[in-house]
Amino acid sequence: MKDIFSFKAQAILLIIALSGCTSVVIDEHKHSEKLSAWQEGEQALVLGRRHSSNYETEPDLVQCVGDIVRSQTQINVIEEPTFLDELYPWFEPRTAPLRVKDMRRLMANGQVAKALQQRQLRYLIWIDGATETTQSAGSIGCAISVGGGGCFGFGSWEKESDYKATVWDLKENKPMGEISADASGTSYMPAVVIPIPIIARVQKNACEAMAKQLVGFFNGDQ
Amino acid sequence: MYRTQLLCIITAVLTLSACSNHVKVSGDYPAPLIAPLPVSAGLVLDGDFTSYIYQEDVEDRWGRSIELGESQSQLLRTVLPSVFSGYTEKNTLPAFPARNAQLWLHPSIQELQYATPRETRLKLFEVWIKYGIKAYDSEGQLLADWIVTAYGKTPSAFMKSEEDALNAALVVALRDLGANLTLQTRHVPEIKDWLQGIQTGDSL
Repeated sequence: MKDIFSFKAQAILLIIALSGCTSVVIDEHKHSEKLSAWQEGEQALVLGRRHSSNYETEPDLVQCVGDIVRSQTQINVIEEPTFLDELYPWFEPRTAPLRVKDMRRLMANGQVAKALQQRQLRYLIWIDGATETTQSAGSIGCAISVGGGGCFGFGSWEKESDYKATVWDLKENKPMGEISADASGTSYMPAVVIPIPIIARVQKNACEAMAKQLVGFFNGDQ
Repeated sequence: MYRTQLLCIITAVLTLSACSNHVKVSGDYPAPLIAPLPVSAGLVLDGDFTSYIYQEDVEDRWGRSIELGESQSQLLRTVLPSVFSGYTEKNTLPAFPARNAQLWLHPSIQELQYATPRETRLKLFEVWIKYGIKAYDSEGQLLADWIVTAYGKTPSAFMKSEEDALNAALVVALRDLGANLTLQTRHVPEIKDWLQGIQTGDSL
């Protein structure tokens, strides 16, 4: 039993030690210092922007932010795919409102207005950005033969995340604030027989930092 | 003995994954949230459309064959009943006059293009599809013949197979087609004029 615990502890320590370093810079801009009172039953929605031609906000990043906001506030956060299907085709990449004033045009459609009222959707959080591999270097070669196999070499790659979250208050029909998160980190993979990845969790760290800021925003932290 | 078997399995898996060149598009499409137009529509889904398979001519390209017919038919069967007050379906153009629908729509696929991350150096799969739609009235008179484009892209997520990523891009493109048909059909000038004529006729 003790041996198993010792093995588990060593494995956890090894994983922690093998995580690459990531730096995250967060910038927040509030249009209004004070959020108006939150009514019971009101919901929020985290949506990814997908209209840009050369990148796409990743669905797993949107899901990650939504999960953290849901778990750390009193706010019920609607799942993105469920909402997109319910309101189809009004929030598709080509049709989604780009500015908060476009919501008025959308609300002029009786069926859309009714669906949003039934949902009690209060806050819309748009996330725009992506994580990209900016540099990579090194090489790893692997070989397999009847006698066995193995890899040898060293590789590294750098990732950068650049996201902006914009919060719209649909009740007040105005933008509430913006949070931007820039993160970067380098991952390494040395290989001596077995490749050992030392991964920098760039996107995950950007998500956590941005979600933490959003949680503070909704909880009224200064 | 065990090592030899393992080596054979690994070789087989690597060979099969390298040769995977066929994508059968599969997705679920929601019904659009819109007030239906006050006319009944007939949809003509012919064999060329329902069993459409895109074949890539360039030999060394990944994704040589894309089976789209079933999924694009499923999309239209989901979307159009919500866009019009009445809906019926045929697999060929009906013998006109065909009074069981006021407007007959006959879609055809004209062009499909796709791009993979290894071609564009972007972390995206992209798909463009061009459809032609012909609209006839119940007397068989051609009212409109217009082009509808559909575009979809999706990130090539880590650990997601290329087939899954291309399928996701195609599903986004089909959703875009559905959005376009839902919101733009009523604004096609010839259809708009025809609808106004119908409504004027009803009010007389």
